[in-house]
Amino acid sequence: MKFFNILRERLRALFRRERVIDEIDEEMRLHVELEKHANLSKGMSEFDAQREADRAFGNYASLRDAAYGVRGGGMLETLWQDIRYGVRVLVKHKGFTAVAVLTLALGIGANTAIFSVVNELLLRGLPYTDPERIAMVWEVTPSGRHENTTSRTNFRTWREQNQSFEAMAAFSDQRLNLTGDGPPEEVPVQFTTPELFQILGSRPLLGRVMNSSDADPRKGQVALLSYGLWQRRFGGDPGIVGRAIKLHDSSFNVIGVMPADFQWHIKRRSGTGKAPEIWTVLSMPSSGPSLLGRFLSVVAKLKPGVSLTQAESDIRAIEARISQDDPEHNKGYSAEAIPLREQLVGNARSALLILLGAVGFVLLIACANVANLMLARAADREKEIALRTALGAHRLRIIRQLLTESLLLALFGSGFGLALAWCGIKALIAISPRDVVSFQNVGINFTVLGWTLGISLATGIIFGLAPALEAARINLNDALKEGGKGGGGQSSRSRRIRSAFVVAEVALALVLLSSAGLLIRSFIRLQNIDTGFSTDNILTMVVPLSSTKYKEDPQVISFFRQANERIKALPSVQAVGIVNYLPLYGGLGSSTGFKVEGRPPLPPGQDPGTNVRVCDSGYFAAMGIPLLRGRTFSDAENTEAKHVVLINQAMALKHFPGEDPIGKRIDVSMFLKPNPTEIIGIVGDVRYDSLVDQPEPTVYFPHPDLTYEFMTLVIRTSNDPTAIAPAVQRELRAIDSDQPVADVRTMNQVMSQTRSRARFNTLLLGLFAALATLLAAVGIFGVMNYSVTLRTHEIGLRIALGAEPKRVLMLILKQGLLLTVIGIAIGLAGALVLTRLISGLLFDVKATDPVTFGVIVVFLGLVSLIACYIPARRATRVDPLVALRYE
Amino acid sequence: MKKERADLLQGTLDMLILKAVSIGPLHGYGIIQRIHQLSGEMLRVEQGSLYPALYRIEQKGWVSSRWDVHDTGRRAKFYSLTKEGESQLEAEEAGWELLVVAITRIRQAT
Repeated sequence: MKFFNILRERLRALFRRERVIDEIDEEMRLHVELEKHANLSKGMSEFDAQREADRAFGNYASLRDAAYGVRGGGMLETLWQDIRYGVRVLVKHKGFTAVAVLTLALGIGANTAIFSVVNELLLRGLPYTDPERIAMVWEVTPSGRHENTTSRTNFRTWREQNQSFEAMAAFSDQRLNLTGDGPPEEVPVQFTTPELFQILGSRPLLGRVMNSSDADPRKGQVALLSYGLWQRRFGGDPGIVGRAIKLHDSSFNVIGVMPADFQWHIKRRSGTGKAPEIWTVLSMPSSGPSLLGRFLSVVAKLKPGVSLTQAESDIRAIEARISQDDPEHNKGYSAEAIPLREQLVGNARSALLILLGAVGFVLLIACANVANLMLARAADREKEIALRTALGAHRLRIIRQLLTESLLLALFGSGFGLALAWCGIKALIAISPRDVVSFQNVGINFTVLGWTLGISLATGIIFGLAPALEAARINLNDALKEGGKGGGGQSSRSRRIRSAFVVAEVALALVLLSSAGLLIRSFIRLQNIDTGFSTDNILTMVVPLSSTKYKEDPQVISFFRQANERIKALPSVQAVGIVNYLPLYGGLGSSTGFKVEGRPPLPPGQDPGTNVRVCDSGYFAAMGIPLLRGRTFSDAENTEAKHVVLINQAMALKHFPGEDPIGKRIDVSMFLKPNPTEIIGIVGDVRYDSLVDQPEPTVYFPHPDLTYEFMTLVIRTSNDPTAIAPAVQRELRAIDSDQPVADVRTMNQVMSQTRSRARFNTLLLGLFAALATLLAAVGIFGVMNYSVTLRTHEIGLRIALGAEPKRVLMLILKQGLLLTVIGIAIGLAGALVLTRLISGLLFDVKATDPVTFGVIVVFLGLVSLIACYIPARRATRVDPLVALRYE
Repeated sequence: MKKERADLLQGTLDMLILKAVSIGPLHGYGIIQRIHQLSGEMLRVEQGSLYPALYRIEQKGWVSSRWDVHDTGRRAKFYSLTKEGESQLEAEEAGWELLVVAITRIRQAT
């Protein structure tokens, strides 16, 4: 309480200074007057009474000051004075202030923008109940593929036998056609066991979430809608609960709507790649062949007090028993548990921390620059400060004054920095990678503001302390001497400090540049990678037929044959094909076992594996996948099952070394009964899983042999492929007016989305490195330029004594380059250690790549040479007459 | 020259002010008068130095103040002892007693 009383008084004094002084005056005057009255009543004369009263009171002015000292603003008032004075100084030196504020704004803005992303993705709590207890449970395949989906049977065993989880849910994403209430539309649907909502602890906006009674198939199918779908498709109808919607041509009863902020989407192994808009119950039949298919993702909630490691070994032990009991389907499989946050953020985490480190470096360089500016300016202010010291200002008071100024600069800088960050965040969201995490909620909130304020205060102290200490160290005699050389008296200490700053800037810039260089080099490698297909002038679109409408395979095949004929007839179309999954689709990409006819049978679970794709002959033509040997599918094979397949080169090399696979028969385990197929040709390898993984063995079935209702059209055109999209959709509607299409993209767009994360990291780190280089160059320039000013006299003397301009040039260049070389040496040592941190982000480039480092060193050297050259040129133009006259 | 007035020992002014206002609310001049009067006209505080001390005491919360109309019809600031001030006064008086006892012992030592 007492503290607040004093604070209130002081604040009052701060803003109502006159008022407080008046009050003190009033009180004291009355005092003197009463004394005078008393004196008068003792019989003194008017004059004597007044004089005696004044004498008894003491020195009025100094006593009033002492009284004000108690009641006045105190520290706060001095601070206020410092701030007003500081603002005046900053306003007076507009050029200096503008440069310093801009430099700081860049550093602080970049930090704020990146921190806002880090805050949203890494620090903020996930919007679920006890999110730290939620984990994903996956299988690991015998070939070492992590985060693999599991089967219904295995999920059921996990759920029954584990001791570590209080609940487990399995789910799988699919796209289904939503019809009625408007045009047909394909929506992402999540089939899940009802425990999902118990695990997440999420509540519905309307109606209810699923419960175990919904799993009973006799009670009819239920649907839970996302807020977005409810608004878009049903106009936010408040009476939606209880209505029936038509999904995949069957009726689903709406039981509830989730709130707008409910987000639940595990992109890993998602069959849709899109956040679900409808949740419905995953059926768990007690028997049937579908129980063994591996397509389920599993999320679980740890029991309180159980650690993730405990849970993981628990689930591994269960998985080991499973593979013992049923080696045919599970031999070699293991299991793993991954915390939910790690699953959601993935390796974006390390990239973000690296970016945060990078902007930290940029800010440090900015600090060094501003500190250098202030040191140089301190020389100009030497007299002012000496005068204040001479007039009795305490050293601490001077340091405080100068620190106040640098804090003001930092605060102005952070103000502009926040504005920059606000724009920067918009740009970040626009270029953010789409593959793992969502940037949509990134923004400036109180945590971010707190961070910005924190770093700007720290910044102010970091760049303000050295100049302030340096200024307060002033030698009064030298500084006040008549004709003091306006800065010439600067100590060699201060010069050394500034040189050290330059060395540090160069070192920091080198670390950033080499990291960025490595990323750029690896991005170029990624760009030039041979994917096995061409990407230009190809349009793709997903055509999901409804299995209730197209019940029989021939109907499905016929639809796509018709589509093929019609689209081929369109102008500018060169080739048309269909495939079940595009390359880089990011979907399941499962590895299916196969047997080669005529080879001795292998023990269960040890059959070799292959990727399986379904397509027609047009697919190879449209994608530019070369036929290496044999032939592709004939027209007859495109329309009727003839039991033939194509294989890729990796398959031929790996499983048919030294023999001719053409004519051999293989049996891929995709069918309920043995189905041997003949290899009729070998095609080129394609990177299906990701850009960085080597192509895996792949078998291509013609569409009639393995009919999917869900196919992607691939259309090669002679010019801009997007132009043809409306005509294609028209042709499809001519076959079936209710048929929706989805994901209309060019192959180049598919590629660019795949590379979006690498592009994001490279772009940002490159940007920060460029910023760092620019700031470092400005720093070198500033210091060298100032040094030339200080040495004008010396240089003038040299020229007068006959030094050639070339020697003068070299003199200055040598000084600057020496600092650069030291900086580069230190930076190289640091970079060799620090670039290891980014090795996880590199592709096909070593973290110590000598080419990158060589280029960066030369580049930075050149930049610094240019920064030194300009002041050096100025030195050669010094007029000895003018320079010497000043003495 | 014989001294007719006792000098004020450093740090005792606070105690005297508190004692003076413990009897009833007073303005600054009144405090000086009361100290003078209570001391049997022996103690005379330098009048002006009362105010810095008074403000300090007020900030510590030992006295509270209020503007009121004085007999002369002008505005005056009246100070009165707070609860905290009462206990402070007790503590200072106890400390003073100890000091007096100690100094007396030293003086009487032979």
